Amino acid sequence: MIKTPAYIHFVQPGLMTTVQDLGRFGMAGYGVPYSGVMDRFSMTQANFLLQNQFYDSVLEMGGPGAKMVFELATRVVFAGADADIYHNDKQVKAGKILDIIEDDVVHIRKFRKGQWLYMGIQGGFETEIVAESRSWYPGITPQFRIEKSDSICYLSEERFYPALGSHAKMNLNWFKHGEIKVFKGPEWEQLPKLLQNRIMKKSFTISTLVNRMAYQLVETIENEVEPILTAAVYPGTVQLTPNGNLIILMRDAQVTGGYPRILHVENNSLNILSQKRPGDKINFSI
Amino acid sequence: MDIRIFRIHSKLIELVWPQVISIDILQEQQQVKQFFEKEYADGIREIRVGFNTLSLKLRIEITEEDCRDILEEIHQLPTLISDFASKTWKIPVCYCTEYGKDLEKLVQIHKISLEEIIRLHSEATYTLHFYGFLPGFMYLGGLPEKLHTPRKNSPERAMPGGTVAIGGKQTGIYPAESPGGWHAIGNCPIRLFDISKEVPVIPAIGDKINFEPISKEVFEEIKQFSHQGLYTWHHD
Repeated sequence: MIKTPAYIHFVQPGLMTTVQDLGRFGMAGYGVPYSGVMDRFSMTQANFLLQNQFYDSVLEMGGPGAKMVFELATRVVFAGADADIYHNDKQVKAGKILDIIEDDVVHIRKFRKGQWLYMGIQGGFETEIVAESRSWYPGITPQFRIEKSDSICYLSEERFYPALGSHAKMNLNWFKHGEIKVFKGPEWEQLPKLLQNRIMKKSFTISTLVNRMAYQLVETIENEVEPILTAAVYPGTVQLTPNGNLIILMRDAQVTGGYPRILHVENNSLNILSQKRPGDKINFSI
Repeated sequence: MDIRIFRIHSKLIELVWPQVISIDILQEQQQVKQFFEKEYADGIREIRVGFNTLSLKLRIEITEEDCRDILEEIHQLPTLISDFASKTWKIPVCYCTEYGKDLEKLVQIHKISLEEIIRLHSEATYTLHFYGFLPGFMYLGGLPEKLHTPRKNSPERAMPGGTVAIGGKQTGIYPAESPGGWHAIGNCPIRLFDISKEVPVIPAIGDKINFEPISKEVFEEIKQFSHQGLYTWHHD
C-alpha cells in the first residue's frame, strides 16, 4: 500500500487543540510531565474503530471552533464529548467512520456534553516524536497548541473497500455519573476525622479553572494541615491548599508538589472526571 | 533508617523519611533506590525522589503485607559506610539588578549589602536533591540561613528563562520562562535542559552545585556558546 504524506490545515484552531497519545513516560525524573490524552477511554474507542494501534496519536479538542481542511483521502472518527460535528456541512455523529477525500472540510461547532473531543485518524498523526511520545507539551515538543493556519501531517492511504463497522453506536452517557472513586493520599490521615467525613459526604462543583494541568473545585475546605516538603504528584493526585482549595491534578501535572496530597483518583474515574465541565457536580467515594 | 511506608493503591507506594531537608536522608534515599533498582527492577515502573520521600510506581500489584516485608528488607540493609560519589559542578551566574530584579528588595529585607548577598549565595555549596516543577528544574538544599526569604504573596506572571531565584529555604534556576513566586537575584546563561539528549540534564541527583559570579560580558559570551551547543560544563 502506498502512503503519501498529507496535511490537515486548520482554518480555525478551536480551543485547546493538541495532538496527544498515551503520554511520555520515563522522563519524570528530569521534571518532564507525562502529558497524554485527558480521556484514555475515548482515545481507545477512536483507535479501535479505525483498527489503529491502541497507542496511535489522536487530535484532542477542549471546546468548539476547530475547522480543518484535509489535503488527501483518509478516514477519521470522533469520540468523547457530545459535540455538533460537520463533514462538508453535513452533520455527522461520533462513532461514524468518515471517509475523507481531497479538500474535505470538518468543522466542530457546539459542545453539548463533556469537555474533550477526540478525532482519531487512520494510522495516527505524523507529528514529531520527542522522548518516545507525540504528546504536545510546551518546551518539549515544537508545537504545543494548534494555532490558526497551522498544519499537521498524516499519511494518506487510498482504500478501495468500504469502512468496516462503519457506524458504531456510541454511548455518550458513560461519563454522566458524578461518583469519583479515590484512594487515600499520603497526607489524608493528617486531616481531622470531621473534615475527612465532610469531604466524603459533600458534593463538589467543578470550577472554571479547568485545563490540562488541573481541575480546581469550587467548594473550599477550611484546614490547618501543614504544607509538606516537595514530593511526587501524579495525574489524579488531589491537593488541598492552605486556602482550602481542592486541586485535582490532570495529565499535564507537574511531577512534584508541596501541597498536602489528600486523595488519589482511580484511573477510570480520572477519565470520567476529565469529561466534567465547569458547574458539573462530583462526589468522592473511597 | 527512620522510614515509614504508605500504600496509596496496589501499584503506587511511598517511602517517607522524617520531614527535614538533609544530606543524610538523601544518601539513604539513594541507597534504598539502588537497592530497589537492583533487586526489584522488573516490578518497578518509576521511582520519584522528593526531599523526604521515594515514590514508587509499580508494574506488579502489592499488598499491605508485601509493604511490611519490603520495609523489613530495607531495615536490614547494611549501614552506609562511605559517602556516595558526587561531582561538584560550577554554574555561572550573572548577579546584577538587571537580571536580579529583586536584589534590592532583598537588601532591604535582610539589611545586608548587595555584595554580601552575592557572596553568601555564591560561596555556599548546594546539593541536588531531585528534579521537578519544570523540565530541568533542580531542587537544591543548602541555602545559607541569612538568605531564607518568604515567597512572594502572588507569583510573577513570567520569570525569564535562566532566572536564579530564592524562595523560602530554597534557591534554584528557572530553566525556561515560567510564572514564579521566588525572588530573582541573577541569571544563568547556560542551557540546563536539552530534550534532544537521551539524558536531558547534566548534574545527577546527589551532585553538588557552586554558583560562580560572572560579569555581563562573560554572561553574553557564554550564552552564545551555550546556544550553539559549544559550552562545556565544569566540575571539580
